[in-house]
Amino acid sequence: MVGSKSPIPWLKTVLLTAGLILFIVPFVVLILNSFKENKAITSNPLSLPERLDFTNYKNAFEQMNYLTAFSNTLVITLVSVLLISMFAAMTAHYFVRNNTKFNQYTFMIMVASMIIPFQAIMIPLVKIYGSLGMLDNKWSLIYMYLGFGSSLAVFIYHGFVKSIPAELEEAAMIDGCTRTQTFFRIVFPVLTPTTATIAILNVLWIWNDYLLPSLILVDPEQRTLPLSTYSFQGTYTSDYGPLMAALVLTILPIIVVYLFAQKYIIQGVMQGSIK
Amino acid sequence: MKRIIKGFQLSMLALIFVMAVTACGGNASNSGSSASNTAEKANSSGNESAVGDEVKITLLNSKGEIQTQLEDAAKAFHEDNPAITLEIQTVPGGSSPFERASTMYASGNPPTMIMLDTGDVEKFKDRILDLSGEKWNADAVANATDLTSFDGKNFAFPLAIEGYGFIYNKAVVDKAVGGSFDPSTIKTTADLENLFKQIEASGKKALVISPMDWSLGAHYLPLAYAGQNKDMAEVNKFMDSLKAGTADLANNKVFNGLMDTFDLMMKYNMDQKSPLSGVYERGPEVLGKGEVGIWFMGNWAWPQISSFDTANGQYGFLPVPISSNPDDYGNQEISSAVSKRIVLDKEKSTPEQQEAAKKFLNWIVYEQKGQDFLVNKASIIPAFKNITLPAADPLGQSIQAYIANGKSEQSMSTLPADHWSKVGASMQKYLAKAGDRATLAAEIEDYWKNVK
Amino acid sequence: MIAEKGVWNKLRSRLLFTGPTLFAFITVMIVPFLYGIYLTFTNWDGISTSHSLVGLSNYGEVFKDGVFWKSFGLTLKYVFLSVVLINAIAFALAYMLSRGMKGQSIFRAGFFVPNLVGGIVLGFIWQFIFSNVLVFFGTKAGIPFLSASWLADPDTAFWSLVIVTVWQYAGYMMVIFVAGLMSVPGDILEAASIDGANGWTKMRKMILPLMIPSFIVTIFLSLQRCFMVYDLNLTLTKGGPFKSTEMVSMHVYEKAFLSRDYGVGQAEAFVLFLLVAAITLLQVYFSKRMEVEA
Repeated sequence: MVGSKSPIPWLKTVLLTAGLILFIVPFVVLILNSFKENKAITSNPLSLPERLDFTNYKNAFEQMNYLTAFSNTLVITLVSVLLISMFAAMTAHYFVRNNTKFNQYTFMIMVASMIIPFQAIMIPLVKIYGSLGMLDNKWSLIYMYLGFGSSLAVFIYHGFVKSIPAELEEAAMIDGCTRTQTFFRIVFPVLTPTTATIAILNVLWIWNDYLLPSLILVDPEQRTLPLSTYSFQGTYTSDYGPLMAALVLTILPIIVVYLFAQKYIIQGVMQGSIK
Repeated sequence: MKRIIKGFQLSMLALIFVMAVTACGGNASNSGSSASNTAEKANSSGNESAVGDEVKITLLNSKGEIQTQLEDAAKAFHEDNPAITLEIQTVPGGSSPFERASTMYASGNPPTMIMLDTGDVEKFKDRILDLSGEKWNADAVANATDLTSFDGKNFAFPLAIEGYGFIYNKAVVDKAVGGSFDPSTIKTTADLENLFKQIEASGKKALVISPMDWSLGAHYLPLAYAGQNKDMAEVNKFMDSLKAGTADLANNKVFNGLMDTFDLMMKYNMDQKSPLSGVYERGPEVLGKGEVGIWFMGNWAWPQISSFDTANGQYGFLPVPISSNPDDYGNQEISSAVSKRIVLDKEKSTPEQQEAAKKFLNWIVYEQKGQDFLVNKASIIPAFKNITLPAADPLGQSIQAYIANGKSEQSMSTLPADHWSKVGASMQKYLAKAGDRATLAAEIEDYWKNVK
Repeated sequence: MIAEKGVWNKLRSRLLFTGPTLFAFITVMIVPFLYGIYLTFTNWDGISTSHSLVGLSNYGEVFKDGVFWKSFGLTLKYVFLSVVLINAIAFALAYMLSRGMKGQSIFRAGFFVPNLVGGIVLGFIWQFIFSNVLVFFGTKAGIPFLSASWLADPDTAFWSLVIVTVWQYAGYMMVIFVAGLMSVPGDILEAASIDGANGWTKMRKMILPLMIPSFIVTIFLSLQRCFMVYDLNLTLTKGGPFKSTEMVSMHVYEKAFLSRDYGVGQAEAFVLFLLVAAITLLQVYFSKRMEVEA
């Protein structure tokens, strides 16, 4: 172990542990307070709950219409991520293998679009799609995620496709495979780690997204988890207890998945950064 | 494998084709007038009407604290009118009712009814129904529909009266004055300081100032506008002079009187060490627990106060005094006004939906269940004379009593939409002593000169 | 290069491979963006049923709007501090956590956790921590600088924003650095760790140059995210106290939706886009040049 040779290993461990505690503490505070009444929360935010009281959770669960919101979020996230990964991989592949001026410019525009502030397209977006009668519908939302998410995905895939030797594909095509067959039989499987990265990044984004769904989805039956959390905020005040429980319920699925798959998720993000 | 890919390829092309077609189809219906949109809407609601003549209407609620009560009311209304289903939508936290409603209009998907702040109604007047013909107009309290009437037509339903001032905890002030406290004894700034001193002498803190920009900018400072004159026309003249840049705030008697009172509040403020730290939740807690005697806020704070109540539900309002003459306007009057309005969309709603929405408004005013929802469940002070149920909580009762005795001052409810935010920030600066009164006056004058 | 024979085949595979992405991209991003630019030449207020062209007057307003430029300056300061701190802390963490230390994967996983939740949730949790938890703790423990809410003072409120931003992104950038460090040969890393003063030289001369590609990515990502900060700003400080922490995105948003000055707000959003685009492009250009030289 290299680390143990370090002159002051204990100092490093102490530093890291302290840092880690700072990183985790906000979540602990959130969970602690989600078991308490409003009154107990404001008078002593650090006290332990008197007992494991699930009233807030029960209220939050009912008021959020949790199961509906959960399944909406799940469908929207999964379908969007699936579409983004597959289509972006195809586009990136096409751009790399047909490196024409036109494709280069298109690629550049996609990359540049990543710095467009969302506020700048928000109202026009709603205005256009509203007049097409395409709002208040989760399929429209999914379509928009494909539009917003494809730039980054194409950008990341682009770097990886470049590293796949073209000879592999050429050989397959000589054997009589069409371009599509080559892509799905040879390229896409090789790209699996990158696909995992893209999937993870997009799941984190779409699951937690607030602004876009708040503009597109109006009908309460369509609401996603982050949207339903906001029924706990009044004009002047927030109902802290149920709100905290609602927040916990919103991030819980992600945390659970993370606990089981953290290794792959970290690896996924790591993969995404090396080109 | 080959076949699968072929199939995939085909479905892909089909998908693209469908996308293109749906886009075009949508376009076609859009390029027509709004009539074709209405027809479209009628068709979609027509699908539901296969079972009897059911109508589905929606209400965009911008009073988040009564969401649950409204949903219950919608259920009760549905029981009384099985053909009408009412769905309550919310304005998400962090966005204003105007912003939400305008994006919904932009999206071509407005709700049947929208709950707006008074000042926003005019912006929507091309898109909402003239409600002048409704029966409840005759039963509304005085001035309730003035601000939403344009060219002699009233466009909005007055939902709630809200009032604000100094809320006192009777248990604390009783102890401080040694006997039963009579709010009518506080008529001047000096009376108020005396009360503060008495409370401090009894071992409690006098008051807490909640430093939120909306409280300072939308409620406290506008007292300086509304208190200019008992006659609303004079107040409007004063507002016009502010906009024209000719008003001299720094030498304005009412403004200075109000700010003198504010100086006094700052002097006795429990949080004066860090005056901007406080969050809203702190106010009801320290007042309810009896740590302070007084808090500047409105009757909507009751649910939070009651959860800390130690005074047996004994609370009431004091006006904010602005001078040393008890007879000056504003010294004995409580500021109150209709603060939320419901408007009916006429662009995308079918005649059936409009009728159903009107029915709902009448249900609130004239049906026993509707009144019960309004007064007892939602703790709202109604704006209708025919509703005789007493307010459900002590703060509402206190406001009602002031109004009944003619001791009320019309709150400024048509200030520009960013007034609370901009002027609230200037007030915070003053409260934190990061700017003096001259700075404050200059910033407010500046705001009015540049406002659109 | 792989190419099909025949125009139809070429077109078909172009449509199949790039069609869905580009169609969605253009209709969802580019068209609304262009339409938004068109709206900046009108006097539309966000709700009225009609509007008319007003030429460049909205852009004139942008240059006259002192608050916009002030909040842009503040945003620059915020972005600079956040980007520096995020990268420094993330690199330090990655460096400590990439040499086979016991439990390092647990640490890595832990530091990544803030990325699992969205900006609005984060802002809410931290707002609660700064104005309730820390104040409570500071008052009870008698720590003066904690007993008043940090969000109540312009300077500490600004730092609260920086702290939360660093907290949010450091873990993510750390992971990218860990990936980069894996490409640094083990003996260089080891040499840098054992002999003190010499280690720093090795770090500077050997490790950091190898890490330039990672820095390009992390700086680009952190620049872009910090410039666009909105959710956090809204839920943590709401721009307060007295507008002292209002970042440029929030100003644009308020201009359009609160002050009902939609055309000017949209024009400011477009000006902001141009400025941010210029800054990020400069960053990528200069760091690519560094990469070539190194």
